[in-house]
Amino acid sequence: MALAIALTLAGITALIAVSEAGVASLWRHAYHVPVVLAALRWGSGGALAALAAILLYTPFVLPALERAGPSRAVLEALVTLALLLGVGVSSGALAAGGRRQRARYEALVAIQRAVDGDAPLDIVLVRLRACLEARLGGLVGLAVRDGDRLALAGAAALAPGSPVAQVLGSGAPLYVSDLGGGVRPRRCFVAPLAGRGGITGALALERPGDIGADERRALLALATHLGLALENARLAARQRRFAEELAEKVTAATRHIVEMDRMKSDFVAIASHELRTPLTALQGFSELLATRRFAPSDLARVGAIMHAETERLGRIVADFLDLARLERGLAPPLRRTRVDAGVVVSEAVEVLRRARTTHALELFCDAPLPPVDADPDALDRVVKNLVGNAVKYSPAGSRVRVAARPHAASPAVEITVEDEGPGIAEADLTRVFEPYYRTPGGARVAAGAGLGLAVVKSLVDAHGGTIRAENVAPHGTRMTLILPALS
Amino acid sequence: MRALEYAPSPLRPRLLEATPLPALVALAAGWGLAALTLPAPAARGIGLAAAHGGLLGTALAWTAADGARERWAPLEAALVLGVATLFAHLVPGGVVAYAAVPSWLVWRRADWRRGGAEHARAMLAGALFGLLLGLHLLVNASLTLGFHVRPGRPADLLAWLAYDLGANVLAAEAFFRAGLFARAHRRWPFAAAAAVSTAASVTRYLLDPLLPHTPEILAGAAFYLALLGVGNCWLLARHGSLAGPVAAGLLFFAAYRLLAR
Repeated sequence: MALAIALTLAGITALIAVSEAGVASLWRHAYHVPVVLAALRWGSGGALAALAAILLYTPFVLPALERAGPSRAVLEALVTLALLLGVGVSSGALAAGGRRQRARYEALVAIQRAVDGDAPLDIVLVRLRACLEARLGGLVGLAVRDGDRLALAGAAALAPGSPVAQVLGSGAPLYVSDLGGGVRPRRCFVAPLAGRGGITGALALERPGDIGADERRALLALATHLGLALENARLAARQRRFAEELAEKVTAATRHIVEMDRMKSDFVAIASHELRTPLTALQGFSELLATRRFAPSDLARVGAIMHAETERLGRIVADFLDLARLERGLAPPLRRTRVDAGVVVSEAVEVLRRARTTHALELFCDAPLPPVDADPDALDRVVKNLVGNAVKYSPAGSRVRVAARPHAASPAVEITVEDEGPGIAEADLTRVFEPYYRTPGGARVAAGAGLGLAVVKSLVDAHGGTIRAENVAPHGTRMTLILPALS
Repeated sequence: MRALEYAPSPLRPRLLEATPLPALVALAAGWGLAALTLPAPAARGIGLAAAHGGLLGTALAWTAADGARERWAPLEAALVLGVATLFAHLVPGGVVAYAAVPSWLVWRRADWRRGGAEHARAMLAGALFGLLLGLHLLVNASLTLGFHVRPGRPADLLAWLAYDLGANVLAAEAFFRAGLFARAHRRWPFAAAAAVSTAASVTRYLLDPLLPHTPEILAGAAFYLALLGVGNCWLLARHGSLAGPVAAGLLFFAAYRLLAR
């Protein structure tokens, strides 16, 4: 383009030189074409092209002026020179202004694009810096307050007393005509980024060339827009995060409700079955008692069976009541007293050993154990539940080890129940204590309402103790219960 | 980025700060004394040395890291220039003595250029600018004012070239561009700084006793020297090296030396 303009200027000069009209040649007006083209292409280049045209045309004008004085042709030529200068400067200024305006609009669009999306603030600032440097023609720096920290683009750290630090402190724009540190002066203009809550950051432009008053005003407007865009982006991001968190919570709650609903349905079916079994037995034996006569020995046997079934029914109903309290967030009622846990464990194991002859129940009880503040009935229920589960979910003939010992790390009693069953999947180890929850494998092996361990946990919690389930090698499950000792 | 990483120096030198006034006053006094007591040719030689030395020394003091240490630089420069002028006038081929001035500047560590490719680009751009302006001067002056191109004796042209390189152009560009313009540009926009620098340099040449003082010559000189001044300011601002302005000035004055009535 520059070569084409230079050649055009030279060509027009040659045409004037060969023209008979000389200085009055109409070709002189053709100088305006390359001058305007240069102005449109480079802005201030229009003035340079006009200067070149004037320099090329003056060798025709000055001799004519010297020869003929201020004739009409010479005056017209002088007007042409003035026009060339005026057209070059003004069209160049207009083109440059238009280009700057376009660059500003492009910068606004680029800012919107840069701040759009979910990217973190530091990434957004890097993007902003790249797009602004391309449009503003200089080094761009950004500092934006992000909570307690200051996010920066253009430097690793902000030096105290630097122009940007000054603007962040004062909130007023700052123009530095020379930052120093170079052969050529480096101009710098820093505009504050204003948000709804005051000054949120600063935008700095630094370059060796001038930063005129017009450009500084434009930068101030750009900084205002940038500050609002960043704040809007921050608010939008916060809203998005909030909406996402809310959606996640709603999804999780819905999933939980669906599962609870399914488990409750399962529970109703299982509970009906569990209740029906002793009820059926009671119903059958009571009908027999009403319709037949029995020998005294048979009467005692039937009575014992009915008593056992009634106890079973009572346990189930007690579990339901405990669960109901648990779901209302209430602790089970306890009658706490000073208890020797070893005695309670031994008695419970002894009872179960007599009742369950399919498994070898082994008891390891250290003596003496520190006394605990517990409800003996609740503790008995806990131990029987844990041992009953161990028997229920391990193969016949296997061993179930029950141990009670002082806890090594704290003044407490540790009771473990260990079986040789198939174990529990890792994902289910914590869930087995949830109400209604039954492991997929457990549901196939034995019947149950899924309440036992939930009730156990609520009882242990009420005592201020802990309980955990873990798998043991090579296979089996260990339930560890820790009850705080009396101080 | 300096706007984030450095605090700008709160002390910005004033436009005429670190001017070596005692040395300049001494030079002016010496010049005056010479004009009163010595024959005209000797007084003119001393005047040239004092004027160019004053410009060079002041530029050196303005651009030095510690201006106070250069307070006698104008006297040194004038001495070097005086010796060179003496050699040029008394010894055949003595014009080469003007090479002592750039050598003295190098010895004094005057850093008015950037190294490497930028230095070469500046020199090339300056040479092109000076050549175009000089050619225009030759064409325009030969069409008007009764001037024509007359190469003259090569020895004379070489002498002028040496004088321009060692005294005229070097001193003017060092003072008006590296000194005055660079200082003004650190505080004002380019247009204002270039206007100050150019106005000062044009005034300096219009007052030069070597320039014929006819209205048309003065008008032409003002026109071309203004163009040369603005162009050289732009070259210095663009490239940061004084090599461009010096090359432009040398070629322009070389063209000027070819003109004769």
